[in-house]
Amino acid sequence: MQNKLFISSFICLFSLIQFSCVPKNNSKRIIVASSGKVESLDPARVTSLKSFQLLSSLGDTLYVLNSDGKLVPELALDMPILSNDKSKITINLKENIYFHDGTEFDAKAMKFSIDRFMRIGINKYILGDKINFIETPSKFKLVINLNKPSSSINALLTSINLTPVSPSFYKDYADKFLNDKFIGTGKYVLKNFSNEKQLLEPNIRYWGVKPKNDGINFIGYENSSSLYGALKSKQIDVLLSNSIEDIQRNELNLSSKEKKLREGIAPETQITFISLRTNSYPFSSRNIRLAISKSINRNLISKKVSYNLRKPLRNIVPPIFKESNQDFWPEYNPKEARILLEKEGFCNGKKLNFPLTYRSNVPSDKLISLIIQEDIKNNLSDCISIDINGVESTTMYENLSKGVYPTAIYDWTGLYSDPEAYLKPLLSCNEIVGNICKEGESVLSGSFWASREIENLFEESDSKVGNYRLNNLIKIEKIASESIPYIPIWISSQKAWSQNKISKPIFNGAGIISLSDLELINE
Amino acid sequence: MSRDLNKLLNYSLIKISLIPLMLWIISSLVFILLRVAPGDPVDAILGSSADEVSREILRNKLGLNESLSNQYFAYINDILHLNFGLSLSTEEPVLNIILKSLPPSIELGFFSILSAILIGFPMGFLGLLKRGKKTDYIVRMFGIATYAIPPFWGAMLAQLFFSVYLNIFPIGGRFPIFQQQPQITGFLVLDSILSNNIIALKDSFYHLALPTITLGFLLSGIFNRSLRVNLDKTLKSDYVDAAKCRGISRQRIFLNHALPNALLPIVTISGLTMASLAGGALLFEVTFSWPGIALRLYEAISQRDYTLVQGIVIFTSMLIVSLNLFVDILIAYLDPRLEY
Repeated sequence: MQNKLFISSFICLFSLIQFSCVPKNNSKRIIVASSGKVESLDPARVTSLKSFQLLSSLGDTLYVLNSDGKLVPELALDMPILSNDKSKITINLKENIYFHDGTEFDAKAMKFSIDRFMRIGINKYILGDKINFIETPSKFKLVINLNKPSSSINALLTSINLTPVSPSFYKDYADKFLNDKFIGTGKYVLKNFSNEKQLLEPNIRYWGVKPKNDGINFIGYENSSSLYGALKSKQIDVLLSNSIEDIQRNELNLSSKEKKLREGIAPETQITFISLRTNSYPFSSRNIRLAISKSINRNLISKKVSYNLRKPLRNIVPPIFKESNQDFWPEYNPKEARILLEKEGFCNGKKLNFPLTYRSNVPSDKLISLIIQEDIKNNLSDCISIDINGVESTTMYENLSKGVYPTAIYDWTGLYSDPEAYLKPLLSCNEIVGNICKEGESVLSGSFWASREIENLFEESDSKVGNYRLNNLIKIEKIASESIPYIPIWISSQKAWSQNKISKPIFNGAGIISLSDLELINE
Repeated sequence: MSRDLNKLLNYSLIKISLIPLMLWIISSLVFILLRVAPGDPVDAILGSSADEVSREILRNKLGLNESLSNQYFAYINDILHLNFGLSLSTEEPVLNIILKSLPPSIELGFFSILSAILIGFPMGFLGLLKRGKKTDYIVRMFGIATYAIPPFWGAMLAQLFFSVYLNIFPIGGRFPIFQQQPQITGFLVLDSILSNNIIALKDSFYHLALPTITLGFLLSGIFNRSLRVNLDKTLKSDYVDAAKCRGISRQRIFLNHALPNALLPIVTISGLTMASLAGGALLFEVTFSWPGIALRLYEAISQRDYTLVQGIVIFTSMLIVSLNLFVDILIAYLDPRLEY
């Protein structure tokens, strides 16, 4: 009798919790979850992908990249006009566009926002010394005067860091950050901001196509399991995958194949590679670098670590930015690797010491290292002695330029959508001695490798446009692939999953989801 | 009595006078450890690909190019003026961040201890009541098991079972994403009551339930065992026997003599547990995405936000030292056997 009473009480309590306590979301607002917090919504300050995602919904840019990677005017009226001497870019702006505070968007507002970013922007180095000054000859005409011809400036104009903000609202913040508010021209207005959640309302005065939903609730969870669990238990509508673990990505991928979820995939823009320190032996030897490159089984790594969800890569420029799909880096071939190592005096009782450093706080990096270690043990154990070490990512980034690691695995995503955004950070150099870089990006990336030919090609590309420029950049990649200062491993993309009651998430060419296109649909 | 109060006052003053010394040692240790730890805050803020000019400008702005001694004296001077500086990653005053993150941790800690007491005490009483029987052994096993379960594992299991499989509790957070939370003191339960918002109160408890019950469950073992052991010892003491001989009823002996004395060590345990929980239950806050001070510390460490780490550690040290002091004085006041 007592047991029955106990069981009945438990069922009553359970039902009460199920039907009365659970808060219900009855609106057409969509809950989007991602990992971590949003520290700031100031376009001059944001650096994380999640903040970029939010800002892209709250603000517009002069141009956007469509899903094919092509430049499309947004706040600009038409494509940028380059002067004959290529030192000026003229941009005509759309009219009748208003900021969220009701003030009008014009060339002065655009100039204010770009100047502000160039003064205080955390990522202002992406503009480097490209822009000299900006003029506003008429209310809706912007003229960007360049220090020297730069063809990458067009791609930079798609950067959400350069989204216009209302000069009147930001007048007290012209030289400092405003983290918890945002007044731009975008499809959504920021209704409420905290580091953990942000509420976005549709901008009823938006100049373009209005959002298809009643608003977005953006929430951050601290770990991958919480995000995965929240989607599985339908507590969230859409999940962005910027830090979800591979095993859970795979599970979600399978669920989408079984039509339990919808999966949206961004263009592949994140490359993972091994950087080889070329300024000291053994990796100063090209043959040894080539041998290591030929001993990396990318297909096995992709299969074992990412369940084939990340594609093996033999380039450093993502295919989306190129017209051909030609692979430049050598294929996996342990037999040829052995021949090369024998030429260098290894394999006959002498082993090459291959210390491989990975970021200990990135689970997939450790798995990549383990797969490489096992594969080398299986095929080249008499030639290579591999020793893997994990260090925390911040430590690795600090020490790369000091030449602490003979080899290191890490990844890179271009800060703007252009091949140059991958080539310059890895290959450019300010001071070259022989083939060694003494100062420049190549030092910061840990390879210390440089080539005068590459520097000349970079300079030449700056003054060229179109296919000629692209071919120049691809030539740079080809030269790098012959010298192998880096070994690309795989390329990955952002993914997002939505419940079946929500439309499929669609990414643009910069890997950003169009939140305004998310809508409630019948399952 | 007045002489006792004077003694207590002296005792309290001696204890209080040691606080600055303790805080100086803690703050100096924090300063040294953060400087010897690998990693550069400039890299953490700008990323490894920022050019050297931008890095140098930021380094100068943050005072990282100053000599260590200059940095140290400036740091101690700021602490003395309760100025913890600006967060390196957000440029928000550290004190603001701490004051924003502290209420969630205190709320979580308070309700977790309440849950621990509500679960642990009846278990302790039950064990004592059924001394030597099957129930007693089950209760003992329960106490040891809950104490032994790693908190992060318990939290993950509870989240998986109750939030994912049964879907009766939220995965994380303090408040429903689609509602605006009342903002008065930062303590959501209190704010909901102050703003007369029953729905907000219900939602706050709904989000508090899983983390607090789980943490309470894991902490209950300590309360269960402490009560069981102390009450057993007290009930076997001479003064209880004397009271029995004087014909005092069992109920009065229990309530007026045994229980107060058995609870004294538990006051100490509660104080220390509360102090450590006010400093944040790190893995709980991470698992349940609970926006408390421990989660903020965890993020600050990963971002190499020196000033924020320093601020949080020193602030929580102050809190723990103050709570310890309070517990010491309270015990000294409550326990007439204690000499000071």
